[in-house]
Amino acid sequence: MRLLNSRKAREAGFAYIVLLPAIAYFLVYFFYPIGVELWASFFRGQPLIGQSEFAGFENYRQALMDPRVRAAFGRTIVFATLGTFCTLVPALFLAAILSGPIKAATTIRAIIFFPYIISFVIVALMWKSLLDPYTGMLNVLLSFLDLPTQNWLSTPSTALPTIIAITVWKDIGYAMLIYIAAIQGIPKELYEAAEVDGASPAQRFRRITIPLLMPTTLFLAVISMIAHLQDLSAPYLLTGGGPAEATRLYALHVYEVAFLELNIGYASALSFLMFIAILAITFVQFRFLNREVVY
Amino acid sequence: MSTGSSHRAPLAVFAVYGTLGFFVILALFPFLYMISLSLQTDADLFSGVPMLVPSVLQFSNYVAIWEKAPFARFILNSFIIAGGITALHLFFDPLVGYVFAKMEFPGKRAMFAALLSTLMLPFFIRMIPLYILTAKMGWLNTYQGLIMPFAMSAYGIFLMRQFIRPIPSDLLDAARLDGASEWRIYRSVVLPQLGAPMATLGLLTFVFQFNEFLWPLVVVSSVEMRPITTGLTLFNSEFFTQWNLTATGGVILFLPSLLLFVFMQRYFVRSVMMSGMK
Repeated sequence: MRLLNSRKAREAGFAYIVLLPAIAYFLVYFFYPIGVELWASFFRGQPLIGQSEFAGFENYRQALMDPRVRAAFGRTIVFATLGTFCTLVPALFLAAILSGPIKAATTIRAIIFFPYIISFVIVALMWKSLLDPYTGMLNVLLSFLDLPTQNWLSTPSTALPTIIAITVWKDIGYAMLIYIAAIQGIPKELYEAAEVDGASPAQRFRRITIPLLMPTTLFLAVISMIAHLQDLSAPYLLTGGGPAEATRLYALHVYEVAFLELNIGYASALSFLMFIAILAITFVQFRFLNREVVY
Repeated sequence: MSTGSSHRAPLAVFAVYGTLGFFVILALFPFLYMISLSLQTDADLFSGVPMLVPSVLQFSNYVAIWEKAPFARFILNSFIIAGGITALHLFFDPLVGYVFAKMEFPGKRAMFAALLSTLMLPFFIRMIPLYILTAKMGWLNTYQGLIMPFAMSAYGIFLMRQFIRPIPSDLLDAARLDGASEWRIYRSVVLPQLGAPMATLGLLTFVFQFNEFLWPLVVVSSVEMRPITTGLTLFNSEFFTQWNLTATGGVILFLPSLLLFVFMQRYFVRSVMMSGMK
């Protein structure tokens, strides 16, 4: 008994010593900033660094009424849902194909995955050079074929779809790999049984693969939505939010309010509203996508 | 009817490889185009003829570029920052994961729940207070200011805990009976079994941090403290019309990632698949 107690004490002692830096780290870099952000969102001006006055819910009221904020939020929802959908669907098909008997499957999936590990700064550079209205390969090729050229990133109607396409291009390989891992986890007997019953490959994909991949789809949809909702690199690097605000996504707006206008209190309220929206959207995704899977 | 996948109709095989070929070209084309641009002369660039192979290979772009921006410093900075963060993760995440996997102590459940809750806090919403905090510590424009906010991650700790849990507790108890200290048990019994997950965590952390853009954009004010990511934007905005020179910078800056990927490709693919399964 005493031995047990001393062992427990020893364990707990070690645990606390190890946890001390971890607790300090998470308090300083996670919980304190969230608290401060909430606190600052109730002040007008520059809470924490300069002049400010208590404003109650005024920042929140102003944010919800601001047409620019509403437009940015709507755009961000379009960006995030379309971006997620257009990533997951082709990724799933690629994963299904590459899980079959394909020559050089390992090399092919590595190549498709490669853009995912490249910094968005370089990705933006590559696509901006490809899409350059005068010297870019795409327009040069189009005019060569006597097709109408397009100023992809500087036309309000095409700018957002172009940004979505570029982020999809970058992310597809990651989703594909996760899907391949999940497909490999599906018991082979299920497919064999279905084949014996005369199910076609398309039927097997629809009746077995898709339903059994629901947890994976949920995982990918949630992380992809969360990443897209707060994405700032894409509009910042590709268009700077233009033309005519067509790609001014929510995070970019908050960034400018905070770091260019130095309107800290208002920016904090905007951040907190986005946090609430992310939680709500994640909750909805769980409700709609999280069905029990029975093998 | 279907007699298994080895006897597919030629049309189906064509469709499958056609689709794969399309995605492979789509993935590679922008990279090839950038390499091509980096070797083009201004005349080629403005010729109005779509070309992937330049008429003359102008390697002088690769010389010219080093005079315009301190690339060596940018690359060094990126390695210091991403390397420092990765080292901290590899030290702390398994250690904390071990404590949560194998030790009993008052407050464990609450602490673990609090830890997991941080997974739901997007970096974006902590950014403004983090900036002010870093400024107050006097850490703006310093390596520690760039490294410390990413020193550990709940995700890494959770991943490590998942892999440490299956290690039999009897093994740890046996070491205890032999008189090994807790630290010794961790180092000699637990840590050696974490090879694959540690490599996963290391690779993903390194690449993710190597590509981090937002935090350096906010925290760094001087040119020589910039990592590759924000260093390149500076270059791009100053010489934005000269795509051949800009592309040269891009090629130089994706080379480290490319080399890392080519040498560790199998490991990379496996680690991403592993991270998604937990």
